[in-house]
Amino acid sequence: MPRWGMVIDLDKCTGCQACTVACKEENNVPHGSPEEQKRAREIYWHKVIAVTQGKYPRVHTELIPMPCMHCDQAPCVTVCPAKATYRREDGIIVQDFRRCIGCKYCMVACPYGARSFNNKEQEKKAYHRQDSPPDRSVWGQWPFPTRTHGVVEKCTFCFHRIDQGLKEGKKIGKEVVPACVEDCPAMARSFGDLDDASSEVSRLLSSRSWIRLREDLDTKCKVYYLLK
Amino acid sequence: MDRRTFLKLSALTGAALGLNRVVSPSSAMSSSAPLQIKPQKMTEVKWINTSCLNCSARCAIRVRVINGQAVKITGNPLSLTSEGKVCPRAHIGLQVLYDSERIGFPLKRRNREKGKGIDPEWVPISWDQALTEMANRLKSLREAAQAHKLLLLYGLNTRSAEDIISRFAEAFGTPNLISGNGLDEESEKSGNWMADGHYESCAYDLDRTQYLLLFGADLLESGKPLSRFLRKWGKLRREKPNRAKMIMIHPRYSVTAAKSDEWIPIHPGTDAALAMAIANVIIAEDLYDKNFVHHWTAGFDLYKKLVLGHYSPRAVSEITGIPYETIHRIAMEFAQVKPAIALRGRGAINWPEGSYTSYAIFCLNALVGSIDLPGGIIYQENPRYKNLPPFAEDPIVRKGKVQPFLDFRGTEKFFNAKVVTNQVPESISKNIPYPIEMAMGFHCNFNMSAPGAGRWDEALKKIPYYVHISPFVSEMALYADLILPSTTYLEEWGYDHSPPGSGFAEARIKQPVVKPYGEAKSSIDILFSLAKRMGGGVERSFGHMGEDSEGFVKHRTSTLMPWKEFLAKGVWIDPKYNYKKYDRIFNTPSKKFEFFSGNLRSLLIKMGRRPKEDLHYLPHYEEANFLGEKERYPFILHPYQPLMTLENGSQNYPWAQEIFLPMHGIGWANLVEINSETARRLKLKDGEEVWVESPFGKIKARVKFSEGLHPQVVAIACGQGHYSYGRWQREIGVNPNGLIGVDFDRISGQAAFFNTRVKIYKT
Amino acid sequence: MRLSYTPIEFRSQDFYILSAILIALTITGFSCFVISYLHGHQVLGTSNAIPWGMAIIITIYLIGLSAGSLILSSLTYVFGREEYRLISRISVFLAVVLIFGAMVGISLDLGRPEKIWRLFIFFVLNNMRSMFAVNGILYGGYFAICLIYLGVIFAEKPELTKKIGILAMIWAALVHMGTGAIFGFIAARPIFYSSIKPFEFVAAAMASGLALLIIVVVFAFKFAKRKFRKEPFFSLGKLLLAFIIILAVLVFIDKLTHLYSPHREPTVWLLTGPFSSIFWGLQVGCAYIIPILLLSHPRFKKTIGGLMVASFLVVIGIFFERFTLVIPATAHPMPFYPGKIEGIWGEVGHFPLTAIESLTSLGIFAITGLLFILGLKHLELLPIIERKEPTPASGEKNG
Repeated sequence: MPRWGMVIDLDKCTGCQACTVACKEENNVPHGSPEEQKRAREIYWHKVIAVTQGKYPRVHTELIPMPCMHCDQAPCVTVCPAKATYRREDGIIVQDFRRCIGCKYCMVACPYGARSFNNKEQEKKAYHRQDSPPDRSVWGQWPFPTRTHGVVEKCTFCFHRIDQGLKEGKKIGKEVVPACVEDCPAMARSFGDLDDASSEVSRLLSSRSWIRLREDLDTKCKVYYLLK
Repeated sequence: MDRRTFLKLSALTGAALGLNRVVSPSSAMSSSAPLQIKPQKMTEVKWINTSCLNCSARCAIRVRVINGQAVKITGNPLSLTSEGKVCPRAHIGLQVLYDSERIGFPLKRRNREKGKGIDPEWVPISWDQALTEMANRLKSLREAAQAHKLLLLYGLNTRSAEDIISRFAEAFGTPNLISGNGLDEESEKSGNWMADGHYESCAYDLDRTQYLLLFGADLLESGKPLSRFLRKWGKLRREKPNRAKMIMIHPRYSVTAAKSDEWIPIHPGTDAALAMAIANVIIAEDLYDKNFVHHWTAGFDLYKKLVLGHYSPRAVSEITGIPYETIHRIAMEFAQVKPAIALRGRGAINWPEGSYTSYAIFCLNALVGSIDLPGGIIYQENPRYKNLPPFAEDPIVRKGKVQPFLDFRGTEKFFNAKVVTNQVPESISKNIPYPIEMAMGFHCNFNMSAPGAGRWDEALKKIPYYVHISPFVSEMALYADLILPSTTYLEEWGYDHSPPGSGFAEARIKQPVVKPYGEAKSSIDILFSLAKRMGGGVERSFGHMGEDSEGFVKHRTSTLMPWKEFLAKGVWIDPKYNYKKYDRIFNTPSKKFEFFSGNLRSLLIKMGRRPKEDLHYLPHYEEANFLGEKERYPFILHPYQPLMTLENGSQNYPWAQEIFLPMHGIGWANLVEINSETARRLKLKDGEEVWVESPFGKIKARVKFSEGLHPQVVAIACGQGHYSYGRWQREIGVNPNGLIGVDFDRISGQAAFFNTRVKIYKT
Repeated sequence: MRLSYTPIEFRSQDFYILSAILIALTITGFSCFVISYLHGHQVLGTSNAIPWGMAIIITIYLIGLSAGSLILSSLTYVFGREEYRLISRISVFLAVVLIFGAMVGISLDLGRPEKIWRLFIFFVLNNMRSMFAVNGILYGGYFAICLIYLGVIFAEKPELTKKIGILAMIWAALVHMGTGAIFGFIAARPIFYSSIKPFEFVAAAMASGLALLIIVVVFAFKFAKRKFRKEPFFSLGKLLLAFIIILAVLVFIDKLTHLYSPHREPTVWLLTGPFSSIFWGLQVGCAYIIPILLLSHPRFKKTIGGLMVASFLVVIGIFFERFTLVIPATAHPMPFYPGKIEGIWGEVGHFPLTAIESLTSLGIFAITGLLFILGLKHLELLPIIERKEPTPASGEKNG
């Protein structure tokens, strides 16, 4: 069984935020507004944070792209009462919007702030992908629906692409990758099977020093960062 | 109960990604395919190749269209300039296309009064009415032999539209064709020209570079072509055996500085001194590329004498504020790590002394032999489109050719300039060299993007008849008598090629991915229609090159490749690039790279001027001329352009707005960024509202304490402060360009952006 | 000893006015809930920074009150302390009403309240590692046990009552330990993360439950114009003092632990930042210090007035204890990476008080109160002193 993970090379990353925009584009993630940003209500499945250390002129700002970390020991999975968020066999932490009751326990538990609460019915946009079932009566995991208000949403590692790719016999990590990985102009992001020694992610993790965020919480997250 | 139905997928060929297919129930051509769909729904999915126009890079893109709606934009993998990658703005194109506040019909102004905050009372009229009105006015202008009093302004348009606009200008008989280039990087071009005779920006062979010395060059934010820099940055860092090193010399700790290996804050306006000091070290340590310098350059002795005599690192350290050791070390690295490139950005050269600064920095490349080499500066090849047929000359046209230019290009005032965009408002207001009767603006918004924006407001008020062509009512359109709704780049035909660049030539198609919004027409189609209505020489000049935009594009690109193939592939590339063309690449009197500018000397002689000193023909540092006295205005304003600023004149795009300033983690705003120590001495509180005042205006915004700014610099991001339209941009942020005084680099006509002083105080 | 219970015949205008107000507030609260259901939680004060707001605070507060109240009934029914019999029935009924209010509160907090049934598919569709799910079992069972308990009490079966009482007492403690565990097991929020949380919550439940009970019973007697003995209340006062001291000690240990590295910043910020006035003033001052002083003061502890004031302060103070637990813990930005996180991701969360949320909160309290006074009116909850049988030594026994 593959164990999907992501490697983000902060040395190659140019801080352009194409990943954030591509994710919104791919998954019909709603955009915010000035008021919503002031009230911390904008929805981001992927965000880029800036962390500054030091004083002029010895200042350093790290720009860190943060998708959902899809932790192997995810705090959010532990706390979801309705099994709306759970770990798939292949390591992807699923967010089943049908099951979600909107208790927001997972948002409280997530140490990475990866989750957003959908607190209003979002506007339908002309550029929303229609090739998804907007009909909420369809059962099963949705690829990339538009979500109702009252549920929590988060990055899905574009599992719809992965599942489709696997069915078509494509190589995940080479031919099929999440939108943020595909649309990174610097090609700073890699995606693949962490347990496959021949994958690009394994190669990167064995050849460079890496860190994960919040190691102190031992979430065993699967998004790794290569430093400058 | 519906279970997932798996879709039959057609086999893909890797390259043939532009094919349009209509299949049922649905199929996907790429990995981003759906899993579930209602079987009875007929879905048409296509990928269409075109190119972007949210900035001047014009990257090749593919757009996924489902049932006539564009839903995804990504790069065209066949494009080599950026290896098929695009920047975030390309994706935001979806919001540009589906901006709900676009205009779909021509709008005629009813309220004669013009000004900020005054309602124009737009009345929709038909295209027929609009074009007839315009044609009549144009014809009468021509008939009165006043054709030169037509002013054509253009901002960001396709190359194809630019060609047509310029054809219209020529055929009509007006010399007054003003692009926005004078706000951009004309001083880079003139600096290059002084050295090698190419009045053009540099292209860089980035695959093999080992060292980038960036002088005020925000490569990862406003460099062009941006997508190329983003891709190559990643490549240079970790896709080569040896990681390339990037050094950023800049008053502001930008994203590019944060991603570079070293940020060296410099006193604004002193980059030329630093460049000369670096040259000093390189020459003094005997590390320059002797082969190249001795065989392919001229004027080295004079240059060497100047450099060694006046630009010791210790002296320059005083001027720039950079420690002597740093200057020395950087110079040694630059000379010894090969190939190395010294790059200039707007921050260093959009100054009144910009041409010389540009020249000084450019010369560093020659010093280390990085000219036309793998990993160095290269010269951009452009696609050889089919020549336009000769246009019809008539007496009006001939008269127009000899009229003085409205922007005083090539005159005493701006003797080497090709366009002096920001001179236009003064010329119009003062009726010099003659009054303007009519103007047309194509996708420009100089009221926002030019220094001293208020002057454009006044000038446009003065023009008796102004027609503005754009998809939305921009700040400039507020002064129009007539607005024609144009298509966005996703709805029109065109051809485009990147600004320098990749060196090798690459052309990109533009084809409509969706039907145009409302009754919008492309600029090219508008001009073809207008030409037909005008008849006579103008109409003839528009003949034999396709009857409309599609025909024109097809005609012009017929020399490149077969039409169907071009549409299917989206790009045409001639990847061959010949390096080391030293015997033919230098357009200078000596036919070599000149440290002593023979071109400039010849030009001045031709103009009847002859400054005595050699210094005028050598790269050198001149103390910056600041606007505003230091005692009253202690700080230097640094307006910068973040990546999320779109260059189409609007910022009404939530995806760009919500993440506008990544270094500060906020959007929907811009900030007055100031060094934290300086701010504390001013007794300011982080986040409080302050006034920023220059001798020319004042604005109010929130202050942000920053560790990443030179202590005397105040930085404000451009792109906000719109007021004419847009739910997502109106009343958001401020426009720092309103504070900037009007100043020019006299050699190139480049508007100066960074030499205005300001003061800050609490509200 | 004979105590007879009769419903209180509220006939005064005060009662009707009070009922009318409570009904109005309930209806308003419900309408606001409908609005938030239709428009989404954008109408509330919660956000991605502070996901849990007033609804959760009120819920855990009410659960605490309920559990505390229920445990106190065991004084009589389990431990046989007759002098407290006068509060025992009311305490059980109060527990029922409060847990009902808590259930209402929970449903208001959910984004999709219509899916609340998904909280009760134990082991099949519930992730039993989640404390929410475990609490589903606990609260569901608790509600049932309370009702059974009440029924058994009304049926006046002392033996059965004792057995159920033991069960109820233990279950109530588990319930609120479970509530505490919801917070205590979350490592991402340092202010929450503590093994003491379950015990802290039980201590708070005992203190606030007892305080509320004292207030409610005294007011009930006063409104019913029935006489009551004061001594039991003074003993309860001593008990309350003990509970408050235990609570204060637990909170002190918890905060002190968190002041040691790692992750001390949120606690330091709580103690010295914008919430510090609420913490020190309304929690420590109001819930601990002043009541401790009052209840140990030789004069005030012997007056019903002093006792009432202390109880009021405890009830209010412990509400704010819940507040200073829930809001600051999530308001403080999380340290994704060492350094200063710029902009919105490093900002402290804002929790504005919105009308809809406030009215909904009032509605929860209102419906709880309404049910309670209806219970007083129609059920035999409040004892009445039989004046006809005074015996010399029966002053204590005749409640």
